[in-house]
Amino acid sequence: MTSPSDDSAARPLRAAVVAGGALAAAAGVAAVLPRADPRAGLFWLLGLGVGVVLQRSRLCFASAFRDLFLFGHGRIMRAVLAGLAVATVGFAVLMSRMVPQPALGGVAPEAHAIPLGVHVVVGGLLFGVGMVVAGGCASGSLYRIGEGYIASVVALVGILVGLAAGAHTWNAWWRASIGRGVVVWLPLLGGYGAAVAATLALLAAGYLSVVWWETRRGVAVPEAPRPVLGRTFRARVAGALDVTLVRGWPAVVGGVALGAFNVLLYVAHMPLGVTGELSRWSMGLMTLVGWSPGALHGTDRLAACALVAPGGPLVTHTLTLNVGIVAGSMAAALAAGEFRVRWPRQARRYVQALGGGVLMGYGATLAMGCTLGAFFSAIPSLALNGWVFAAALAAGAWLGVQVIKRIP
Amino acid sequence: MKLDVRGEICPYPMSKAVDALGTLPEGEALEVLTDHPPALETIPFYVVRLGYRCVVEEDGPGQWRIRITRADSSDPS
Repeated sequence: MTSPSDDSAARPLRAAVVAGGALAAAAGVAAVLPRADPRAGLFWLLGLGVGVVLQRSRLCFASAFRDLFLFGHGRIMRAVLAGLAVATVGFAVLMSRMVPQPALGGVAPEAHAIPLGVHVVVGGLLFGVGMVVAGGCASGSLYRIGEGYIASVVALVGILVGLAAGAHTWNAWWRASIGRGVVVWLPLLGGYGAAVAATLALLAAGYLSVVWWETRRGVAVPEAPRPVLGRTFRARVAGALDVTLVRGWPAVVGGVALGAFNVLLYVAHMPLGVTGELSRWSMGLMTLVGWSPGALHGTDRLAACALVAPGGPLVTHTLTLNVGIVAGSMAAALAAGEFRVRWPRQARRYVQALGGGVLMGYGATLAMGCTLGAFFSAIPSLALNGWVFAAALAAGAWLGVQVIKRIP
Repeated sequence: MKLDVRGEICPYPMSKAVDALGTLPEGEALEVLTDHPPALETIPFYVVRLGYRCVVEEDGPGQWRIRITRADSSDPS
């Protein structure tokens, strides 16, 4: 790799111009957002940040699980575990301020702690199969839409259909499992210190298991070396822009940044999650076509990304968060020269995206969240359901790998 | 040997590249044409483990060529 000359500086500088223009446009949108939801502007900006992080580091939760089984490496899973550790510490500080004495105050507000039961396991299995078959999870589909992937638009439609099917069978699941489940929030068992220590120890054990698994499956290779910066001021600035805006970030940088964004979102209101908002779209569309599922038991009392009833203002902070993820990814892809409208060339890829999406939507209904809400926000919430979902997700991803191995 | 995996998303660019390496004649290079940015991280990372080296070149907006050769070959690329 050569050091950037004046010639190779042109590309990063052009990327900086695109990024600057995108920031100005983002600020303009924030200024005209309706004032009905005062958090809409803040969540729009945080969503943009999450979209940039996901796009730049290609932090795909589907590949985090899938690649362990398919290729025997855990580059992205190690990054996810690092991000979970960051979020765990941040969430614990925040939750201990909101509920200083868990034994007296109960579960911290907005923590992603949901009743345990067979629905979490079934939800994780379905979501795991779906994300591998579709080639991306819910947040993955959002950021890929921003990069121009048509298949991800199809997957998102599938997710909305799956959420609709989930809503129509919700009350049966409520009676059979969800309504009978018990919320296990670790600080209620042994205080924050023990809960954080146990969570970090489990994350460390997970990290070691991934390294052991990689070693067993072959020699793990370090990440590719980054280009050397030049000596002149212009070359050094160009080099810094190059590693930030043009080249993909090391996965672990993305994982840690996503963990930090999750803490910021919780400080602002609630942990990171996208399916609650997607369910609002799904329910709203069902109401429009006269196929409303009717009253759903318990959803107003459940945390995480439980189904959200339609109604209320159209522009909310959860909408701006989701749209922000798409827009942030699009801005990052445009700056890097990676944006391109991509149509799958084989018809079966559309079927995979739609079918995988439906499985994800139904699974996310039962587990009250996707890889973000039910996993990346649930484990740092010090909730046992996050670990149960993670185990089911891994098993589902393994099943999904068996499926895609048979689809050429 | 050329492999066009444009339009394909993970894991197909990588799994098809690995399959193609299995049928690659001795001394030849494999050129993978892709429009999937994650493949720029996954393919180099993985093929090095299999004893190959590779070079990524841009081939228009949002499109790349990944040239893969055996690590012990004399091909300078």
